[in-house]
Parts: sequence; C-alpha cells; structure tokens
Amino acid sequence: MLKFTNAFALKARVVTGLLFLVSAPCLIHAKQLAIVSDKANAATNLKAADLASIFNARMRTWQDGKPITLVMRDPGSDDVQLILHRILNITSDQARALIQAHPGVVVVVDTDDAVQHVVSNTRGAIGIIDLYSLTNNVNVLKIDGKLPLEPGYILKGN
Amino acid sequence: MTAGKPQLRSLPIVLFLTLVAVLPAGAAKKQSKKPEPPPVTLQLTTGSPEARKLVEKALAIYLDQVEQTQAIEMLHKAVSLDPAFAMAHELLAQISLDSAEQIAEQAKAYNYREDVSAPEREVIEWYQDAYDHKLLSAITRMNDLLSQLPHDKTVVWMTTWWLTTQQQYDRSIAIYERSGINDSPGLLNNLAYNYAYVHRFDNAFETMDKYIAALPKDPNPQDSYAEILRMAGRYDASIEHYHASLAIDPEFYSSQFGIADTYALKGEEARARREFEAGFRRFTVPEQQRVLWRTREAATFVREGDFDWADRAFQAIADDAHAHHISLAEADTYRQMAMYQEDASHALQLLSKAEAAAAAGENTNHTAIQQVTAQILRARVEVAIKMENTNVAQSSLDALTKMSEDAGDAVIDLAYNGALGAFLVSQQKFAEAMPHLEEDPNNPLSLKLLAIAYGKTGDAAAADRAVDLLSNLNDPTLEQALIVPAFRQCAHDPACGGSVKNASIKAPHTL
Repeated sequence: MLKFTNAFALKARVVTGLLFLVSAPCLIHAKQLAIVSDKANAATNLKAADLASIFNARMRTWQDGKPITLVMRDPGSDDVQLILHRILNITSDQARALIQAHPGVVVVVDTDDAVQHVVSNTRGAIGIIDLYSLTNNVNVLKIDGKLPLEPGYILKGN
Repeated sequence: MTAGKPQLRSLPIVLFLTLVAVLPAGAAKKQSKKPEPPPVTLQLTTGSPEARKLVEKALAIYLDQVEQTQAIEMLHKAVSLDPAFAMAHELLAQISLDSAEQIAEQAKAYNYREDVSAPEREVIEWYQDAYDHKLLSAITRMNDLLSQLPHDKTVVWMTTWWLTTQQQYDRSIAIYERSGINDSPGLLNNLAYNYAYVHRFDNAFETMDKYIAALPKDPNPQDSYAEILRMAGRYDASIEHYHASLAIDPEFYSSQFGIADTYALKGEEARARREFEAGFRRFTVPEQQRVLWRTREAATFVREGDFDWADRAFQAIADDAHAHHISLAEADTYRQMAMYQEDASHALQLLSKAEAAAAAGENTNHTAIQQVTAQILRARVEVAIKMENTNVAQSSLDALTKMSEDAGDAVIDLAYNGALGAFLVSQQKFAEAMPHLEEDPNNPLSLKLLAIAYGKTGDAAAADRAVDLLSNLNDPTLEQALIVPAFRQCAHDPACGGSVKNASIKAPHTL
C-alpha cells in the first residue's frame, strides 16, 4: 500500500474521497520539455520553425547579432528524441551527423543540470531540458507563444 | 522578442563549454577563502524546543516507520504548542488524511512563512504555487530547495513524492538515487512504486526486498510488495505476499481486499467474490473504501460477461449509497453501470440517474460534485460516440469544455481531454486526438485510442509501446475490466474483428 498522501497533486483523491474515480498511476506519461535561455537574453518566445533552423545551423544569431548556441543532452536521450521527432522529424543518428557537420552550433552535455549551467554562463545560449529539472538560473522561452504546460504547447509527448 | 531571421554566420567551436559542464560548480572557488558551510539539513524554525522535537520525531516515525497516523498526532501536538510553527503546519498539510485540514494547514503555513529560514520558506511557497496551479514557479522552487539540501531526508521525501504525484517517475528516481539516502523505509516504499510505474520491476523488487528487511514485523512492506508483483502480472506471488502481510497483522485489511482484487485480475472471479465477502464479514472498513471494494466486487461480474448480475450488484451499491445519503458514490455507481451497457439508450438513462444523484450533492462539496459531473459528461460523450450520435457527443463535450475552462481542476481536465480525444478519434482526426489522449493515460480507453492514433499517424514505435503498456495493465478497475482482457485477446490476433466488446467506443482498430 502506498501510504503517503499529498495535499495537492492528489487533491482529487483526498478532497473528494472518491477513491473509486482514481485508477492506478499512469504507466505512460507525457514528457514535458522546456527551452531555456540565459537570464540576460531578452528573447521570450521562439517559433518552433526557428528551433528547427537553429538545430540545422541555418539560423546562427539572435536579432542583436549574438551567436546562438544550442545546449542539450545526447540525441539518443528520450527527451531529445522527442524534440527530434516533433520538430525536425529526424532520427538520433541523423541528429548526431548534423551536429558533427556543424561543430560549435550544438553543445552536448550529460545532464539537465549541466545544460542549465552552460546556458546560464553563455550569452546567447539556449538549452533543452526536462521541465521538471528547471531552476531559477535560466529563463523559460515560449514556443509559438505558449509556455510549457499550457494547452497546445508543442514540446510534450511520449 | 523572438529569434532573428536566419543568418549564415560561422561560430567558434565552444569546446570549453563542454569542459565547464562537467566541472563541479564550486571548482572555480577553490582558491578563495573557505566559506561558511551551509546547513546540510532543513532547519526548523520555532520558539518551542518541545514542538521542534515533536516534529523531528513525527518525521522520523513517518519516514522510518511509515506510521502516518502517529506522525499526524505528533504534528497536531506541535502546532498546539507553537501555533506559529510554519513548517509543522506545512507537514500537516502534506500528510493529513483530512482534506479540509490539509487546506487549512497550508493556509496557516503560508501565513507564518515570513519568519522562517529561507529553505523552509521555499518549501511553503513551492507547495503554495503548486496549489495555485503555478507549476513553473513550483518546479523552480522545488529544484532550488533541492540544490541547497540534496541529501536531507525530509527534502528528498518531499521532492520525490511530489514528483511521483506529478507522474515524473524518472526524475523522482534520479533524485533519490543521487541523495545517497538508503536507510529510510518510507523512501524505499515510494522508490519501489516509482520503479514499478516505469516498468523497472527488477529494481522495484530489489528495493522491496530492502524495505521488507528494514521493517520485517510490519505488514505494509509485504502489502506493497504484493501490489507491485500484481502490477507486474505475477499474481500468485502477489497473493503469497498479501497472505504474509496478514500473517504479520491479521487486522491489515487492505491485504485481504488485495487478495480479492488479485484473484479478479487473475480471472478467478468466483474466488475473488469469496475473498471480498470474507473481507466485508471480517473487517469494519471505512465507508469510502467499502464502496470502492464493493464496486470491485461488482466488476467481477463484468469480467465474466454476466451483465445481469453486474446490474444487480451495482444497483445494490447505488441503493445503499442513496439510503446513506452518499450522493457521489450513488452517482458514480450509476456512471459505472452505464459504461458496460450494451443498450446505449439504457446507458443514457443511467447517466441521467447519475447526474440527478450528483446534483443532490448530499455529504459532499462543490469541487467533488463538479469532478463527478465531469466524469458523467465524459461517459455521455463515449456513449454518444457508440450511438454515432454526434449531436449528443458535441453538446456533452461543450459542457465539459466549459467546466474545464472554468474550474482549472486536474480531474476535470482529465475527463475533458479523454472525452475530446475519444471524440476526435471517432472523427478520424488522429493527430489532433493524440495530445489530448496523452493527457489522460491513466485511463485504459484513452491508452487504447492513443495506440490507435499513434499507429494511424505512422509512429509505430509509440504505438507498440502503448500496446505493450495496455496489454500489461494490471489495475483492478472497471475500466481495466472493460478494455484490457479483450484487448489482450485481440491485440495479437489478426482474425480478431478489432472491436472490443462493450468498450463504449467505435474506432478503427489497426492493432
């Protein structure tokens, strides 16, 4: 028996007492990703198409001329695969080839903490992280006008 | 500001960034004067040493002995000794079994937050943000707290558990594994469930072995182990552990009903009913749980395809709930009856009864009524789809959409997304349906439709994953009874017609 209860996320279970409405915790859960930037970056929104262009090295600077660096985990990681599938429609191997073909555009690190560390210390950098790793060292960018968890936000899925 | 237009301009290779990333954050400060070490545990702010001791003891009992009731009693004493003890109020808000108390205690914690330490304030504001649906801020606060105290048992419990409730199982596991804590039975229990939720059953069993070793005379580890074995489809082993739990404590009634649930999933419905009846005879069970298990017992008839007896059993529950003025139990029982009806018109009549019972609203509150009403509307959408009555489906969906927009309630949102996803699939709008169905993956029907939608949109890997998950869903609910056994039979049988009997939905079946 999972004894621990929680006031908020399990509010429905506890507030209503409607145990019969609640099935088992889900076994397939939607990943929520965030695109983050350094705190000094004035950008608040990014088009999904721009994200694809950044990855493809077709878009390399911000409007003010600052270079764009994309920081992320290995293309084989679940989170990055989601982006590759949703935004670029390419495989992990194709992504690795793209990264090798355009050195310096994409920086690959091991963890979400490392992504945020690099982004927060690199003017013009943006990073891809699991939303639930978010810290206050970075800003969250809207994608096509939507923040993570808002209806219609594109960077979520399985 | 948005990103600029594409400009072809070369960039220097930023190899150093990779190096920076792997360096410890504090490496650059190595040469500087040794700073004051920050506290490594969560400091509790109170003017009463006695209250502090009580809270520390409550946490120890809760996390190390998994004794929630005793811990709650101690927290009550603590806040009576120091009514301004913010963190005691917060902990009570988190572990109280009384929903009204949870809300009241959160408000008190928030009111007293100004005079506490920064980490305590972070905790309180994190939970308040979560309560207020400000999730980005909540996540940020949680991670900032964690970065300050990554090895504190209380902080690790709070973060891993909250992430579990957010269905972020992988991150919850990662935080636990990085914490270095391996002596907390409460955390082991939670960790094992997280492993199970992501189907890492070997890790879950290994963790459960540690949990049992830590509390060999406690029935809960055996009960938890049994539940996880059942999730893995290992029914006989599950029943053995439920019996082991009862051998330790014959009054641990959830294990008795666990045995009954497991027989039901195993397909031994008559045996399951005998076990349910034995449980009802032997134990005085809280009313809400009694309704739950009576419903599970009634569902055994659905599993057998004996809908006449299912009707009798569900009707008895509805009548009993009506007599005891438990409106929502009555409403939800009628909703469940509607779900397995072969006659869609009769299903709609039952849903009308469900709505009337919910509207009566005896012994409940507005939020709960709204949540049950949303479930009923969802069922209406599904029945209307089955009837191919687009007007009824659309009007019910409109009502559900408005409820979802007005309420900002997670349970209502799930109902809305599930219903809309089903409707879109029925309209062959698979790509549009997917994001809505992904929001409702607890529901076997949504999971089944998701598998179909993935398949139709060409994502074979995701479809296979959804099929695998659905086929291995061992959750003793009516929804599972209606969808999964038939799905298992159909999924790998090319000769199967593809329509799942009584699944309340018509959709092209490509699996």
